[in-house]
Amino acid sequence: MISAPDVVAFTKEDEYEEEPYNEPALPEEYSVPLFPFAGQGASPWSKLSGAKFSRDFILISEFSEQVGPQPLLTIPNDTKVFGTFDLNYFSLRIMSVDYQASFVGHPPGSAYPKLNFVEDSKVVLGDSKEGAFAYVHHLTLYDLEARGFVRPFCMAYISADQHKIMQQFQELSAEFSKASECLKTGNRKAFAGELGKKLKDLDYTRTVLHTETEIQKKANDKGFYSSQAIEKANELASVEKSIIEHQDLLRQIRSYPHRKLRGSDLCPGETEHTQDLPSQAATTSDPEESADTDRYTCRPAYTPKLIKAKSTKCFDKKLKTLEELCDTEYFTQTLAQLSHIEHIFRGDLCYLLTSQIDRALLKQQHITNFLFEDLVEVDDRGEEKQESAPPKPSHDRPPSRSVEECPVPQVLISVGSCKSSVESVLIKMEQELGEEGSREVEVTESSSFDPQENLDYLDTDLKGSVSSGESIEVLGTERSTSVLSKSDSQASLTVPLSPQVVRSKAVSHRTISGDSIEVLGTCPSEALIPDNFKASYPSAINEEESYTGDGRGAIHCQAGLSPPELGEAEEGGSGVTPSQTDSCCIGREGGTLRVPLSTPGHTLSDEDGVVSVPPQRYRQKDPEFHVDFSVENANASSRDSGSEGFPAYELDPSHLLASRDGSKTSLDDHSDATSYGSSVTSASSDRTSSSAPATGPSSERHKKRAGQSALKFIRQYPFAHPAIYSLLSGRTLVILGEEEAAVRKLVTALSVFVPSYSRHAKPVKHWVSSPLHITDFQKWKLIGLQR
Amino acid sequence: MSTLCPPPSPAVAKTEIALSGESPLLAATFAYWDNILGPRVRHIWAPKTEQLLLSDGEITFLANHTLNGEILRNAESGAIDVKFFVLSEKGVIIVSLIFDGNWNGDRSTYGLSIILPQTELSFYLPLHRVCVDRLTHIIRKGRIWMHKERQENVQKIILEGTERMEDQGQSIIPMLTGEVIPVMELLSSMKSHGVPEEIDIADTVLNDDDIGDSCHEGFLLNAISSHLQTCGCSVVVGSSAEKVNKIVRTLCLFLTPAERKCSRLCEAESSFKYESGLFVQGLLKDSTGSFVLPFRQVMYAPYPTTHIDVDVNTVKQMPPCHEHIYNQRRYMRSELAAFWRATSEEDMAQDTIIYTDESFTPDLNIFQDVLHRDTLVKAFLDQVFHLKPGLSLRSTFLAQFLLVLHRKALTLIKYIEDDTQKGKKPFKSLRNLKIDLDLTAEGDLNIIMALAEKIKPGLHSFIFGRPFYTSVQERDVLMTF
Repeated sequence: MISAPDVVAFTKEDEYEEEPYNEPALPEEYSVPLFPFAGQGASPWSKLSGAKFSRDFILISEFSEQVGPQPLLTIPNDTKVFGTFDLNYFSLRIMSVDYQASFVGHPPGSAYPKLNFVEDSKVVLGDSKEGAFAYVHHLTLYDLEARGFVRPFCMAYISADQHKIMQQFQELSAEFSKASECLKTGNRKAFAGELGKKLKDLDYTRTVLHTETEIQKKANDKGFYSSQAIEKANELASVEKSIIEHQDLLRQIRSYPHRKLRGSDLCPGETEHTQDLPSQAATTSDPEESADTDRYTCRPAYTPKLIKAKSTKCFDKKLKTLEELCDTEYFTQTLAQLSHIEHIFRGDLCYLLTSQIDRALLKQQHITNFLFEDLVEVDDRGEEKQESAPPKPSHDRPPSRSVEECPVPQVLISVGSCKSSVESVLIKMEQELGEEGSREVEVTESSSFDPQENLDYLDTDLKGSVSSGESIEVLGTERSTSVLSKSDSQASLTVPLSPQVVRSKAVSHRTISGDSIEVLGTCPSEALIPDNFKASYPSAINEEESYTGDGRGAIHCQAGLSPPELGEAEEGGSGVTPSQTDSCCIGREGGTLRVPLSTPGHTLSDEDGVVSVPPQRYRQKDPEFHVDFSVENANASSRDSGSEGFPAYELDPSHLLASRDGSKTSLDDHSDATSYGSSVTSASSDRTSSSAPATGPSSERHKKRAGQSALKFIRQYPFAHPAIYSLLSGRTLVILGEEEAAVRKLVTALSVFVPSYSRHAKPVKHWVSSPLHITDFQKWKLIGLQR
Repeated sequence: MSTLCPPPSPAVAKTEIALSGESPLLAATFAYWDNILGPRVRHIWAPKTEQLLLSDGEITFLANHTLNGEILRNAESGAIDVKFFVLSEKGVIIVSLIFDGNWNGDRSTYGLSIILPQTELSFYLPLHRVCVDRLTHIIRKGRIWMHKERQENVQKIILEGTERMEDQGQSIIPMLTGEVIPVMELLSSMKSHGVPEEIDIADTVLNDDDIGDSCHEGFLLNAISSHLQTCGCSVVVGSSAEKVNKIVRTLCLFLTPAERKCSRLCEAESSFKYESGLFVQGLLKDSTGSFVLPFRQVMYAPYPTTHIDVDVNTVKQMPPCHEHIYNQRRYMRSELAAFWRATSEEDMAQDTIIYTDESFTPDLNIFQDVLHRDTLVKAFLDQVFHLKPGLSLRSTFLAQFLLVLHRKALTLIKYIEDDTQKGKKPFKSLRNLKIDLDLTAEGDLNIIMALAEKIKPGLHSFIFGRPFYTSVQERDVLMTF
């Protein structure tokens, strides 16, 4: 195989092939495995399956001064995630070394204890035997009762993939730094509060002692002090000293560099708040003003108590919990940030990498993004992290709201990924129903793109430049239609800003729609129809009919949701107000009385029309899908049902990442660590066999079937290429056939090629038996027509 | 071990290394876990600078930290674990390779570390794999050395009846020095000649008015195609630094920013050494018009390499990933086995001779002609030169091209993942994959597979099976399914 002379010279023929048998063989521990990607029969996916935990998780550990390293909590807080993985042992491993190693406590020669604001340390290490690798973020919190006033903690992102941690090191570091900063800010606040209380106690104790001493002095007429009086005086002196020490600590905590806070994502308000409290406490601790208890107004009224001047170290005391160490709001906020981290980094590394590469490359295509990508989506993806990071939104609001803000990251991601689809719906709805006003508000709420940018867009459109959808539509030739489908989505971007523009676009739309229509006839002969296209599910039609009458069921379900859930459902595009109900149901459920729009097939995510599942189940699932975006710990079945909402994009690489994003927000906590990202989009046949319980196998199967049908269509028919070209280039494609099931099946298969086809926008008519009108070509890009 | 070790001393042996350029490395250390004294530093390597970057005490303190906690080490037999520290309090980053070994009769834990300033974090991270791979291999050899040395010493003690314990274990240091210095030099050269993250297309061949203006059309097509087929790993050699660097920059356009930061331009005056593990590197031929590639290092690169000679416009490539990895592993195993079998110091030292003598010219059959033509790069080149140069159009078009490639790669991964149920079933339908993903041209398949390999390591080996056959034979076999 290798015949380079120098190799031969080095190894000799026999050496290279096999080690000689008469020599002691090289122990395997000193050698290298011949197959680096695990052993025989291994695959790129099996490499990560050796770990005892099912997927990546975050562990918070502490080096307790009483019991040593101990795990505190995991995110997600589900024992199924870390399985049999020994958290105690791993905590011991990651917390056994103090990497920060800065002096905290009484420095030699210093009269008072000194606080050092140590920088966080970041360590990547692993346990190759357990197959666990971790990014560990070490931080130190302050506790007045702790040894040296410090409590060392760490937050660890634990994964089975070492490369993932190293390749995402900077991103992990940045995200964990935010969480750490949040935790530390809360801790400083709590520490200052604790000092304030302690000073108040000391102050009160001093007053009491002083009074007692004075009484004793007055009572003493012998001219010398009794031992009791001396003891009291010593105690008083100790209290005085303790007050000075604690005042010094307050001064130190106040001296925390402001620039650090400004540099972080934490809001200045919190900073000020944090700084205010100690200053107030310090002020009140001043002997002259000690009586003024109202100065502690920012905290609940605290009744000072008599304390012992000398605090004795007791080892049976209960240390404060992490939540007590930090302000509750900050603690909650930190947990939200950690959940966010867990969400953005979970899953297979290849999807993370590809999405990062994708984003970088899309940014370079800003001048042509209108042709290929949804610009808003691109921008949003870029800003996704910033937008969805919990600290920021919650900083804009009072901290007490942070509890509600916990699921914010998921919500924002979902909005970002679904936005363009929502807007595309808008176009359709406006053209058909003229309800743009009410929808617009909804869409605008869910949009976060820069208005100026869209105005620019608008300008471009109106000027009719090469890049605009308008100019292309005016041309209306087959050549120009190659970008028509994209101009649709382009136009949809402008909708939230100007309804007038939308109307003008709708007009021009008609022009083009009528121009180019592809009519594809399916062969009536059974012999020529592939098995996949045959109506193997006769129940489909009945099921669709039952759907038609059930359109409003979904609304009732949503009405039963809790307010946040409902909010999410609104953002997802589900109708809520009565005026919107019809249009939304048309777009999503297709179950209204409007004849042209009542396409029952649209009610299902996969549009298959062959689902043998009771339709009601889908209506129940649909709202749950939206709930999913906001409720982190929603049950697995609802999450899986959420994934059903995605169209079958197996064949469209451009949707792979977008779909993944979607899956990121909706995927259940039971997805496995290595490839949860693919479970939604790839329609993998092993999905049902994965650890995820109660998945929607039928829907997944249908998605896969749609993809397979599309593949078979491509292989079967010689005209497949022009047909798909027509769809991709935005022309309407009509499929003629006698058998409804076959036509429906083919329409479903080809629907994956329809641009702007998504959960919200479905310009596909599976079956129509009446003659087509010219307006139908505005509405539909893919039509199944009875011959 | 503690009984055999030299007594603890505050002074640690230190090697100062003179480097021609700026050294981003502060120090390298070799430490071990003493059963009585805990972590101890045995040797320090530091660049020779006028300004003291880190005191020995600080280095020792940091090196000790790398082994702290390793008493709990729970590793697979023979594992060399990597630990990575960012100690903001100290302003340093430390990369440690922790391993177990037998030294002087005792099994203990050792750590070879390199220390860099924290400011170099973004510089270092893209080079992490290169550094780790190289240090890992030298540790593999050093571990055998330590083991064998003990045996030899025991024999000597028995024969001579003398104890020379103080000399023991020292000989691993020169071996480690033999790799630490090149790593320092590599980092130094990357500091001065690393390819920037952003490349101006105006500095590349893609800015030509027409294809073939600055280099032959077929050559450019072959170069880019093969470059992509070998996972973006290429060596560009030539006599003109300017010409070499232009091709280097052109090829780097097809890499991700992180991969560009792991690529190196050619030095104008004298040539750098070949460095295993870089993505693209420019190398200058010597006065005789040749450049000798070290065979072993080319073999130890994580990906196969494309060899591009800009003087004679030739493009040659190594076999695809699975063959390359298989060959690499066999070569490593045979090298370590030969090392293990060496019966004397002379035999072991023979490696040094081989090391210096090893050379390889791409005319030998490790590098082959580019056999598989592709349509992707060809179509790209045909179209990109139709766009007006000097504007951002070509950059945008390139970004779109790369986006398509990456999406195709992701699609391919998902296709295989789905088809094999995440590797639970063997993959049998290569022909279907080619048709379905429109990768019927072998070159196209190679390009997409190479991209997929980078984001999903092991894909080649999984698809093409154990490479007892050549890749061509394998594919023929698979095609019959």
